[in-house]
Amino acid sequence: MSFIEVKNVSFSYSETNNAIDDVSFNIEKGTYTTIIGHNGSGKSTIAKLIAGLLTPKAGEIFIEGVKVCEENMPTIRKKLGIVFQNPDNQFIGSTVKDDIAFGLENRRVEPSKMDDIILEYASKVGLTGLLDKEPQNMSGGQKQRVAIAGVLAMQPNVIIFDEATSMLDPKARKEIKTFMYDLSKNPDFTIVSITHDIEEVLQSEECIVLNNGKLFMQDKPENVFKHPEELRKINLDIPFIELVKEAFAKKKIKVNADNIEGVVKQLCQYRSKN
Amino acid sequence: MPISFKELSYVYDLGMPYAHKALDDINLDIQEGKITAVIGETGSGKSTLVEHLNALLLPTSGRLEILDHEIVANQKHRFLKQLRKEVGLVFQFSEHQLFEETIIKDVMFGPKNFGFTEEECKKKAVEALKLVGIGPEYYEISPLELSGGQKRRVAIAGILAINPQVIVLDEPTAGLDPVGGKEIINLFIGLNKKLNKTIIIVTHDNEMVYNYCDNTIVLAKGKVEYSGLTLDLFNNKELVDKLKLLEPQIVSLKNELRENGFKVSDNIRTINEVVEEISRQVR
Repeated sequence: MSFIEVKNVSFSYSETNNAIDDVSFNIEKGTYTTIIGHNGSGKSTIAKLIAGLLTPKAGEIFIEGVKVCEENMPTIRKKLGIVFQNPDNQFIGSTVKDDIAFGLENRRVEPSKMDDIILEYASKVGLTGLLDKEPQNMSGGQKQRVAIAGVLAMQPNVIIFDEATSMLDPKARKEIKTFMYDLSKNPDFTIVSITHDIEEVLQSEECIVLNNGKLFMQDKPENVFKHPEELRKINLDIPFIELVKEAFAKKKIKVNADNIEGVVKQLCQYRSKN
Repeated sequence: MPISFKELSYVYDLGMPYAHKALDDINLDIQEGKITAVIGETGSGKSTLVEHLNALLLPTSGRLEILDHEIVANQKHRFLKQLRKEVGLVFQFSEHQLFEETIIKDVMFGPKNFGFTEEECKKKAVEALKLVGIGPEYYEISPLELSGGQKRRVAIAGILAINPQVIVLDEPTAGLDPVGGKEIINLFIGLNKKLNKTIIIVTHDNEMVYNYCDNTIVLAKGKVEYSGLTLDLFNNKELVDKLKLLEPQIVSLKNELRENGFKVSDNIRTINEVVEEISRQVR
């Protein structure tokens, strides 16, 4: 049994066409999976279906063997947390501390224990000195970290990031991506991240590609990007390093390293041979 | 004649306890007929700066010379409507402003406000939609039926329909998928190269800036940290580090190649150009 099982799921917003059309895939425990696809490919819809925010028209989804459906939502909510795209739309508390406390209160955590838990998760995301600040007055990256702390404090097994970095500036984006990467090293967390950011895909372990509501590919990121022509056909971006390799290949120069340093090293070897 | 900011400052909520100086003594020139990028961290004053260009914001102190106009702090100006015809501003997530029942009506809305007849408006809208690559088969459908990238192009057409000389785009590719983003980039390059429009883009995408923008302005905390050629900025590693900018990957590649003894020209911007130069050196 896989950790998350999506079985023949379909969903539609209108009567005419399916936003998700008979999609099946599995996600294993403790992995970091990215889901990519062009605008309208269905990637945010599938995230909402997994989270139980939408109900499939056909098919079933299971998290640790528990079916995602209305009567199981209390169990599912304990297992799963979501960080959304817009950092401004997900705050409830007037301070960072209150915001993290909100989820804990709903979970009926004893007030005496709450301070310790809040401090623990605030320090995990590097917000220790900012507990009394108002989230509204923080930077985009800090806001997303508050949102992540709030989710972590609920001790979920799976965290869904729904384009969590797309509204951030490049610095904050890098900061949150590094944070997600570090988090993924903890085998207790299964991470599912919906993203446009091709560089983020490269740091994940598994990649699911959706196209027009259908599963297009599921593989390790390095294998996904071995088919740049396929990806171009479905309006997806190609990582910088793959574009470089492709351009050299057109000149009949074969380089196959995964980063700039490696590529340049190979070029040096070719130069010394000639 | 360049667009010229002179000792310009702007304070939000002037006189209030939470007054905030968003622009602090800005002095800079923006060349006409070029593509200029405005970059800097969130909150550095990028949007505030460009919203002065069509007098959406008026300076708290200092002045702005643009086209044949001069906007001076604390003075009344009669030419603002004319200015807004000459300088078009495309907001962040501009597609949220689409509101008419059909695409053609939406694009006609701009020229209508400037008093053109129905027929003239239609002609201008058709031309603008042609520029952004939206064909007649779309004219009568609702803007809501389009994809994200298409919607944004319709929103840009709404600005192009008033035929401004200066076009300002605030994060025009944010939230679009890569293909939608490229469509927008190709659009403004075409407007610059074919129609000689002055293009000013607020962006976080330094790769795009390096590839396509002639000049770059770097803002930090409401001050100008750099204003000049894009290549001079990003080719200067010390400066890039000092201003804490994210180095475009193509620049990282060029630097790594140089450190390993390859010859790489300063003025090349794309992967293909770099590969062309290097392939001659490894054969």
